[in-house]
Amino acid sequence: MLPPDAGIGYLFVLPLVVLVLLLIAYPLGSAVYLSLTEKYVGYPPRFVGLKNYVELTGDPVFRKVIWNSAVFTVGSVTVKLMIGLLMALSLHQALFARRLVRGLLLLPWVVPTVITALAWHWMFDALRGFINVSLETLGLIGEPIAWLGQPSTAMMAVVVVNIWRGFPFFGVSLLAGLQAIPADLYEAAAVDGASATQRFRHVTLPGLRPVIFVTTLISTIFTLNDFNIVYVMTRGGPGIATHILATYTYEVGFQALRWGRAVAVSMYLMPLVVVMIVVLARRLTRED
Amino acid sequence: MGARVLAWVSLSVLLVAVGVPFYWMVTTSLKTSTQIQSLTPYYYPRPVTFGNYVELLRGTGFPRWIRNSTAVALGASLVTVLVSCLAGYSLARIRYPGRRLLATTVLVVYLVPPTLLFIPLYTILNGLGLANTLWALLVAYPTFTVPFCTWLLIGFFRSIPPDLEDAAMVDGASRVQAFHRVVLPLAAPGVLAAGLFAFTLAWNEFLYALVFIHDGDLKTIPVGLNDLMFGDIFLWGQLMAASVLTTVPVVVLYTYLQRYMVEGLTAGAVKG
Repeated sequence: MLPPDAGIGYLFVLPLVVLVLLLIAYPLGSAVYLSLTEKYVGYPPRFVGLKNYVELTGDPVFRKVIWNSAVFTVGSVTVKLMIGLLMALSLHQALFARRLVRGLLLLPWVVPTVITALAWHWMFDALRGFINVSLETLGLIGEPIAWLGQPSTAMMAVVVVNIWRGFPFFGVSLLAGLQAIPADLYEAAAVDGASATQRFRHVTLPGLRPVIFVTTLISTIFTLNDFNIVYVMTRGGPGIATHILATYTYEVGFQALRWGRAVAVSMYLMPLVVVMIVVLARRLTRED
Repeated sequence: MGARVLAWVSLSVLLVAVGVPFYWMVTTSLKTSTQIQSLTPYYYPRPVTFGNYVELLRGTGFPRWIRNSTAVALGASLVTVLVSCLAGYSLARIRYPGRRLLATTVLVVYLVPPTLLFIPLYTILNGLGLANTLWALLVAYPTFTVPFCTWLLIGFFRSIPPDLEDAAMVDGASRVQAFHRVVLPLAAPGVLAAGLFAFTLAWNEFLYALVFIHDGDLKTIPVGLNDLMFGDIFLWGQLMAASVLTTVPVVVLYTYLQRYMVEGLTAGAVKG
């Protein structure tokens, strides 16, 4: 026997279910299948089993792409977490104009990513970009640095931009986490004679741990799959120095027109992403 | 006291780091190309010129890209509000078997990266004859706007006390009437916020628009700008003017949305 109104409940949720099945579940399923085929644009797919994955595993270019993705993701997420923590702790301290400052610091997160990447492309411009121009004015460099033209600095540049865009997400989440730590815990610790450092270590950090965990996971999923910043700033170059999973997927799919292989590139870290999503979903839907 | 000073020092550093790219974007958009190219740096435009804005609006596809972006973002947010409102209410309030599974699905789906979806979605849209039309984006954008907005609205509907609609139903209103007449008016600010979020998400989207649309006349702003950037010469003045014009509406919307964004982003995280 169904509860009353169950019919209306199902009816209301039906459009969502149709959307999820048709536009997300079905494409994901067909992605799994496509990755097991050799599919060139305009030709029907030909089943080849795990061939794409096996070939990718041995491919030095793809290995470099995986390595780049790891550097990009770990580098960005770590620094975003640290700066976000600094932002949250500072905002938690500073009572004056807190909302205004928080709003201003959120701006990078609000701007369309393509615009962010464009603006920073221009900031890093070798000849007239702000960074070289001001470094020259300050006398710190003798001649311009081609930030986006050298492998090491290009990777650093795209990581910097990802950090710039993403740290406010950490800052705002962690601030909310800080505000949710009961004040009596601090008072009790102070009564017991705990120093500021001890209070931070034994009250603040444990209180923040769940928020840090969740925010870091969400950010890792999205950073690992970032496309816009790298594509607009370097197209994966110079050479393949900044190619990460998403940009390489796009290149294999739409430059080389090998769709089966391209989907295999994007699916390669699927198991990792699935694990992260499952952990997150369990965390976030736990009944309070 | 010391902690507070330290807090303001780090906030000032962060504000400068956030502000410089915006400063450079706005000032570049107001410089002549001579000032932009000059070997003696112009840290601010002198004199100020609006030539980049004029050329952008007269000499490029920018006005068309604005129209396309607006149409797609409006359409996508309307669809999103409709689907998310119904689903959000149903998942927040009505009891039936499978409800928790569905709520979890919404979250899971929100976390599925577009990188995994864009090629299979493209083959599907191609099969439907929608590739290279704005309809393709109208179909594709709800895949990320609907999960996000539904998640937001589940929380929002839960925060409205159930007593009111219960009272209405005791007085003989049906569930649909209670939803329509009692809950929706109360939820209006949250619904508006969800709609505006959907609008900005669609307005900012790049990958699907890049892949699904080839026709120059149908491009959205991010794709149009990406093309403009990789033309023969870098038109930084015009590109930065376009960046300013594209960013302003989003920033205006977010001054309203900030409250909801903080709640929406963090509600889940803090709960865990």
